Amino acid sequence: MEAFTSLASGLAVAIQPMNMLFALIGVLLGTAVGVLPGIGPALTVALLLPITFKLDPAGSIIMFAGIYYGGMYGGSTTAILINTPGESASMATALEGNLMAKSGRGGPALATSAIGSFVAGTIATLGLTLLSPYLVDIAVSFGPEDYFALMVVAFVTVSATFGDSPVRGLTSLFIGLTLGLVGIDILSGQSRLSFGIPELYDNIEVTTLAVGLFAVGEALYVASRRHVHEEKLEAVRGSLWMTKDDWKRSWKPWLRGTAFGFPIGALPAGGAEIPTFLSYSTEKRLTKHPEEFGRGAIEGVAGPEAANNAAAAGTLVPLLTLGLPTSATAAMLLAGFQQYGLNPGPLLFAERPDLVWGLIASLFIANGMLLVLNLPLVGLWVRLLAIPQPWLYAGILVFATMGTIAANPSPVELVMLGVFGVLGFLMRRFDFPIAPVVVGLILGPIAESQLRRALSISLGDPMVLLQSPISATLLVIALFALVAPFVLKGMGRFKAVED
Amino acid sequence: MSQYRKGLWRSALAAAAVAGFVTSAAAQMELKIMAPAAPGGGWDQTARSMQQALTQSGIAKSAQVTNVPGAGGSIGIAQLVNNSKGDGNQLMVMGYVMVGALLTNKSPITLEQTTPIARLTTEYEAIVVPANSPIKNAKELAEAIKADPAKVTWAGGSAGGVDHIAAALFAKAAGADPTKINYIPFSGGGEALAAILGGKVTAGISGYGEFESQVKAGKLRLIGLTSATKTPNVDVPSIKEQGVDLEIANWRAVVAPPGISADQKKALTDAMDKLAQSKEWQEILKTKGWENAYVSGDAFAKILAEEQARTKDVLTAVGLVKS
Amino acid sequence: MTPSPQRRVDVAGLVIALLLLVLAGVVWWDMTKLQILSPYDLGPKVMPIVVSGCLTLLAIGNGIGAFRGDLPARDSLDWKPIVLILGGLACLIALIAFGGGFMIGTALLFAATSTAFGRRAFVTDFIIGAVIAVFVYVLFAKLLTLSLPAGPLERLF
Repeated sequence: MEAFTSLASGLAVAIQPMNMLFALIGVLLGTAVGVLPGIGPALTVALLLPITFKLDPAGSIIMFAGIYYGGMYGGSTTAILINTPGESASMATALEGNLMAKSGRGGPALATSAIGSFVAGTIATLGLTLLSPYLVDIAVSFGPEDYFALMVVAFVTVSATFGDSPVRGLTSLFIGLTLGLVGIDILSGQSRLSFGIPELYDNIEVTTLAVGLFAVGEALYVASRRHVHEEKLEAVRGSLWMTKDDWKRSWKPWLRGTAFGFPIGALPAGGAEIPTFLSYSTEKRLTKHPEEFGRGAIEGVAGPEAANNAAAAGTLVPLLTLGLPTSATAAMLLAGFQQYGLNPGPLLFAERPDLVWGLIASLFIANGMLLVLNLPLVGLWVRLLAIPQPWLYAGILVFATMGTIAANPSPVELVMLGVFGVLGFLMRRFDFPIAPVVVGLILGPIAESQLRRALSISLGDPMVLLQSPISATLLVIALFALVAPFVLKGMGRFKAVED
Repeated sequence: MSQYRKGLWRSALAAAAVAGFVTSAAAQMELKIMAPAAPGGGWDQTARSMQQALTQSGIAKSAQVTNVPGAGGSIGIAQLVNNSKGDGNQLMVMGYVMVGALLTNKSPITLEQTTPIARLTTEYEAIVVPANSPIKNAKELAEAIKADPAKVTWAGGSAGGVDHIAAALFAKAAGADPTKINYIPFSGGGEALAAILGGKVTAGISGYGEFESQVKAGKLRLIGLTSATKTPNVDVPSIKEQGVDLEIANWRAVVAPPGISADQKKALTDAMDKLAQSKEWQEILKTKGWENAYVSGDAFAKILAEEQARTKDVLTAVGLVKS
Repeated sequence: MTPSPQRRVDVAGLVIALLLLVLAGVVWWDMTKLQILSPYDLGPKVMPIVVSGCLTLLAIGNGIGAFRGDLPARDSLDWKPIVLILGGLACLIALIAFGGGFMIGTALLFAATSTAFGRRAFVTDFIIGAVIAVFVYVLFAKLLTLSLPAGPLERLF
């Protein structure tokens, strides 16, 4: 109950008119930059730090909270509408979301994403308020072997993104794993597959790959088929708003997405991408409308979006309780605190409760503000699709390239974008699934480095993977997820025979 | 053509500076500061803080920050050396990490090709152990590593970086084989810190700022800092004072492009001298928790050369650089 | 599950299989140049070996598929728009690489893409692209002090 009184006093700080104004500026700015791929909340906060230096700590930290949540809204809006994920965690949203938008259901897709983000953000922020002290102990006890086991679980569920042919799905995945090798190997400091090009030393940027494959590849593909297949986009077909059925199909994915996102986001090396994939795979498996997956299923938007937002709140658990910056944005928030001579960490809650609770309260406010601002805009956003096709795709390409150069003003990065665009085009033409490439790039390096760390610590003993209770449990889950479909199929056959 | 005229204008300015109009000429300076890293990192923060202090104090008329990220600064330095030759208004922020990165990346561009201007700040490395560790001080850690370097696992930053070099130097000073250290690189500061807090590794090594709040809260035990003598902000004597001969600092500095005239070099050095003394810069150092380590001119060039030689030795010993 | 009557060998499928094999070879060749530095680390070679091996297997799998001709049907292909779009992108890259700034390049890319999608108003679209570029430049370079690649046009602002 102590948490609630503190939260109430935090709310009192956050709803002061000036601080509300900062929160509003934050969410607007965050949404604006979130729309551009490559420019995320982290970069925005980094660039704003010198400017906000003169504001009072509460005001600027509240503004950063707004930017943080606003960035995610912007990122998923573009993922749904123009298949250009503004950040890597919006990739799973783009899979079904863009298909929905193309079939005239962009309104419900945006709505379930906005409401799902709000629900997940609110629950996760509550979790941050109440569970932080307990969660953080588990988070810290997660060792390299446990992360590796988590990656195994993620790999097993990836097959949900494979499409019809396992060979083609695996081919895509291994192209992604190959791309994941590019750059300096974190553990040995040697460069792999870089061919002496310094720009490749820093690994391939996930957003560059995702935007190249999704946005540029799609533009090339649609353009190449215009003479045989005129793409007709309808901005709205049916209801602009979520129907009763949409609500019924969304609320469970929201909750399940939150359940994936918050705890994994709270892990120091958890991130937001893995929970979004786990959520996507789970929804695909549990849905009552499997035929809609691949043609725009609302569950495939609701779950990952909730997971994404919950993970963002989860990231704040280690930041506020331990001072551990576990994502780029968290690192920038940390720098923001330090600018005022505050060191987040075990003592921050005791030393400056007003600030911590002010921040948590402003997360609630930013979340609510985004919902209020975005829902009325859904109709307007969807009209974007009514822009004449030449301008729409030209605009998509301009956004894709601009986001890429703004984050990294190097021609090499743009060449990579082009190469990935061609790859995306060819993969579409020969019917290879796209998502596993990005999944491979994200998961491969983490799985490799965590396994190698675990084995270095155990001096090469692989039993470490089974000795840790967390790792052993996760491996059992992975085994179950791998075997269960076959067993269930077998049982179904058995039943059929019995009948 | 305009380049030529700009060059003339600049030499005129430099001449004026020499002729005694030092303050007025310097106030006209339109500096460009390159941070060879993405926005947000240490070098970028240094560049943007310099920008703030230089313009607010009126030392320069303007100071524009550009970011050229990539490969530990290898891309930034290549751009400085190739595209800004002779530009007396250009500066690049760099640091000790770049010394190692250029070596491990086999960069064709070396620091010898730049014009050293001044070292600005420094941060000492700290060695910590989990609060419940049996190891209490640097002596005990040294004994443990001498007994079996494999059993002492280190968590720190990227391979070949300052943390790795410091761990290797510690092993060497302890009388163990530096090639046998069990050093485990982590990608972000947070991840390494979590591994140490969770007791997954024996010891952690990083800049003191990463550990400070944990040490104060009693969750980590500070073994010592890599400074020559005890620094006022900690209670523990330095590692060197505890009898393990290790001294290393992660400093940040500015360098200028090659081919600038002696006058241009002097103008830049003067501007940095004034920056270091300005109250705006002092204020920034205080809020950011950066330690002032200002050295300019030939003294800095000498330090740079020494650091390069020592780093090359260590990186060769651990196998990251072939001699 | 009716077997298609004309099970012809798919040449494109064979090319894909061959490319995968080449990729596997490159990964393997790159791996041979790495050294194992730490005595406790599994080493940087294991992952490339696994990837290279699996790519080889997948090349075989794709090759078998191509021989059986079970690749999905494809429409005919219009190369012109692809060349136009990639050409626009190439112009942007060249302009940035040689200091021409990003505004002109962005405008060119916009106009080239809209032409690729069948519009015949290059000049109008060029201007629209330029307006977008200016807007973005002002937003990012001025408001956020982010350094975008600058050329003669950008310096006017």
